[in-house]
Amino acid sequence: MEIPYVVEPRKDTGLNNSKIGIWLFLASEVMLFGGLFSGYIFLRIYADYPWPERTLPVLPGLINTFILIGSSVTVVFAWVSLKLGQWRKFQVYMAITIICAALFMVLKGIEYNAKFAHQAIRLDDYTVIEGHSHPQGGSDDYHAPRKNFNIEADTVQINLSRVDDAYYEVMGKQYDDGGMVLASELTLNDGKVIAKGSAISKELIDQAKNDYLEAIANNSSIDIELGREAWALMKTKYQGKKYYEAVEGTKTLNEVVSAYIKELKKERKGDYSSTTPNLTFVPSSGSATITVNPYWGRLSNPKEGDKGTLKLKDETLISGVTADSSIALAVDGIDFRHTVMKAEERGIDPAVAVANSWLLKDEKIKHIWEKHKLITSKLAEELKAKDREPAENDIYRVNWQEIAGLLDHDLADLESMSYHDILALYPGDVEGFAGPDHKKIHYPEVIVPREQVRFESVFSPRWNTYYATYFTITGLHGLHVIAGALVLGYYLFFGRKMFEEKPEWLANRVEVGGLFWHFVDLVWIFLFPILYLM
Amino acid sequence: MADSPEAIKKHIKLYLFIGAILFVCTVLTVAVAKFEFLDFGDRGFDGVDAVIGLLIATFKATLVALIFMHLNHEKKMVYWLFGLGLFFAFCLMAIFAFAFSDPIEFQAFFGR
Repeated sequence: MEIPYVVEPRKDTGLNNSKIGIWLFLASEVMLFGGLFSGYIFLRIYADYPWPERTLPVLPGLINTFILIGSSVTVVFAWVSLKLGQWRKFQVYMAITIICAALFMVLKGIEYNAKFAHQAIRLDDYTVIEGHSHPQGGSDDYHAPRKNFNIEADTVQINLSRVDDAYYEVMGKQYDDGGMVLASELTLNDGKVIAKGSAISKELIDQAKNDYLEAIANNSSIDIELGREAWALMKTKYQGKKYYEAVEGTKTLNEVVSAYIKELKKERKGDYSSTTPNLTFVPSSGSATITVNPYWGRLSNPKEGDKGTLKLKDETLISGVTADSSIALAVDGIDFRHTVMKAEERGIDPAVAVANSWLLKDEKIKHIWEKHKLITSKLAEELKAKDREPAENDIYRVNWQEIAGLLDHDLADLESMSYHDILALYPGDVEGFAGPDHKKIHYPEVIVPREQVRFESVFSPRWNTYYATYFTITGLHGLHVIAGALVLGYYLFFGRKMFEEKPEWLANRVEVGGLFWHFVDLVWIFLFPILYLM
Repeated sequence: MADSPEAIKKHIKLYLFIGAILFVCTVLTVAVAKFEFLDFGDRGFDGVDAVIGLLIATFKATLVALIFMHLNHEKKMVYWLFGLGLFFAFCLMAIFAFAFSDPIEFQAFFGR
């Protein structure tokens, strides 16, 4: 079938159809990204926390901007080459464009990975500390989950209907390791009795679960049978009547049937199996340490030594005492801006609020803060000559470059140095390409007790609305880059035949694909300053 | 659109020139955010930096749209399509602006 107007323009629009199509699509894209940008503006204006200004490492974003601009030029040249009938040149320019797209995505991947491996904790007094959480004891495995709650359990009750292999993998093993045993005798459906004090095992739980499910199935089938029997009887008794006409005295038909079923159930009492969904275990000696992830139950932060029962989403009940559940964080960033914001809201002097913050009770951090105050005073002196003053970010935020650069310098060293000499000690943009590198530098570690944690997260959309919008918009933009590269790659690898038979058609296709590519570049032109520099 | 081989050849230098301007403007955007002597307004990020940053970005985007996307010599229909898209995008932003006129705080908004 001949597709009309793929090369020659239509009389009414003056354009070929593919061009109309791509511009319609781009118009919808403008509205899509426009909506996301306006969402970003709204969230930023109404943010109830200090917005993370200039928080992303600029170098990957800058390189990506160069890459996209470069690819926009090469995609134009690819189109020009086709127009001039130069297939070889077209191949070269298009290949460069696609390599640029791949490089862009690799850099984005490095950036995302750095964010997902970097954590932050908002303390109870709103101080924010950033870094990598380590298992206490100084292991370098910064992916280790240190956010879990530890409970010295004296009783664990599991819900058999919610237990599966995955559950046993995570929780069952812990019960096993903790020497949990059956709290009371268990009689199985086949009459076998498992004694109180029997050790927990997967076989035991599976057996109990199967028994429970069988018992439910048995009871349900009896219920269905009785229900059918009752309704069949009623049908005969009230034949030809509507259900609302069939009443006995003041009772409705439903009530009559229910009462009848109740009677039948009494007769069949012996056929019902007992159904206990819960199985309770106790530690064979003293208590057992159980570790749970707070998200399994949307649990608040218990204090160490708190007594009580935790209910997880899978209905597991763990009774006992909260054990040490502190988080060990190698600190590469300190931000008091939120503390200051909250202090101002309450009419408290910000300097007092910061000085009294929990974090500054730690000697290592206090030393960092003293150095920071000295640097800020030197900056203030320098700015005074220009009739300017330090920004809130300068005063209340300590970034990773400062912590890393001054690790080996104490207060006395810095006193004699100028502000610019101190800045020269900081690692450069290349060194911290996508953020602080914890494998190279050992940042000071702080042990944060669980009751001091207001909120903790990796730098994912969960952390705050800035990261939510950052990942949404850049993620969607990244998908556009991939889609654009696939389309352009198709022209590169499968366009030869069309070039020989209908070169004008291929040129039009590349122009349309190129228009999409330029749009992807255009969106990034706004994203880069907004997300990285503002 | 003038896309005869001769006309296209003439444009090659222009495309390179625009590419170079885009590179320079990108460096400028970063410089404005990074260097003290280019930081107009208060120190650190403020409204002045936002305006300058967005102006440079708009200039760059305009160059891409006009030259690379050939909007400097397109058919009327394209302007309509793209213009409407832009118009509705700005309408979306205007809707957010209504949040400033909180109807609870400013009841006169409903003509009371």
